[in-house]
Amino acid sequence: MTRLRLFILLTVGVLGLALGIGAAVWYRSAPDATALLALSLPDTQGVAQPLAQWRGKVLVVNFWATWCGPCREEMPEFVRAQHDLGPQGVQFVGIAVDKPALVAQFSKELDLNYPALIAGYDTVDLTKPLGNHLVALPFTLILDRDGHIVLAQVGPLKPGQLRSTLGNLI
Amino acid sequence: MRLLSGHWRPLVAGAALAVLSVAAWPAAAQVDPLTPDEAFRFSARLVDAGTVEARFMIADGYYLYRDRIHFAVEPAGAGLSVPPLPEGTVKQDQFFGPVETYRGDVVVRLTLKDPKPGQMIVIAAESQGCADIGICYPPTVQHVALALPEAGKAPSATNPAPRRAWFN
Repeated sequence: MTRLRLFILLTVGVLGLALGIGAAVWYRSAPDATALLALSLPDTQGVAQPLAQWRGKVLVVNFWATWCGPCREEMPEFVRAQHDLGPQGVQFVGIAVDKPALVAQFSKELDLNYPALIAGYDTVDLTKPLGNHLVALPFTLILDRDGHIVLAQVGPLKPGQLRSTLGNLI
Repeated sequence: MRLLSGHWRPLVAGAALAVLSVAAWPAAAQVDPLTPDEAFRFSARLVDAGTVEARFMIADGYYLYRDRIHFAVEPAGAGLSVPPLPEGTVKQDQFFGPVETYRGDVVVRLTLKDPKPGQMIVIAAESQGCADIGICYPPTVQHVALALPEAGKAPSATNPAPRRAWFN
């Protein structure tokens, strides 16, 4: 083997290792939903609802607000999916950055069939490390039954994307 | 297998780790929207010693809610009089009824009730809006500092009117 060939192989090997180590470090620092699942937020009646109560379910956590048009547009599909997939262990939870009275009124109009909890922007800040750098709405997380984040979506979820992701988890 | 033999091992191991970790990464955000400060660029300039021209330059594909724009001045003693905001585009909202939004430029002339010559003031503008790609932002506050002119002098040009070219 020539020195040049050995040098090239060593260089490529070192680069490959560096890439592998970098990727491993990146993976180990992957965001998780621990902080989110530890939350307890009031519902529209002011009753504290710990998110941990839905542990073991396929959880869809949707951050929204009544004034957010794109949020409201996707919610009827969430209601349908909760109806269709709820018996198979899917639980939607809406976290509204809004006034409880408005949330209650909108929930009634929509016949919301999943909990609507109330939060401030400090709660939405928890989604920054999960891919929501701009603290934008809507923001939706899909967690598997072990609480691992399977999908983090800034902006509306496409119905097909929602159904196929949930289909793989139930 | 040749690829797994000898000198290639580190490369294969590294590449495999990289592929595995990328595959394990949760599906990331697919959109790359502007920050609110970029989408709703706020500026303010003195027209005269007691008048501030406030302006939002809204990037294409973004809009602001008219009823979610608020102005304030610091120190509060300078007193701010805010006229009715210009009419926006009215959209019928099933839940809220008529909702007015702005696109493009929005200009509002604010009046200082008690400006002091040579005083430094800060105009704070709160706004809230959304992007056509389907996301909405939290309320955003932007600030512009202005130096009121000394007695008998015209306002300085330290804060010139923004140019449209900034978006090009």
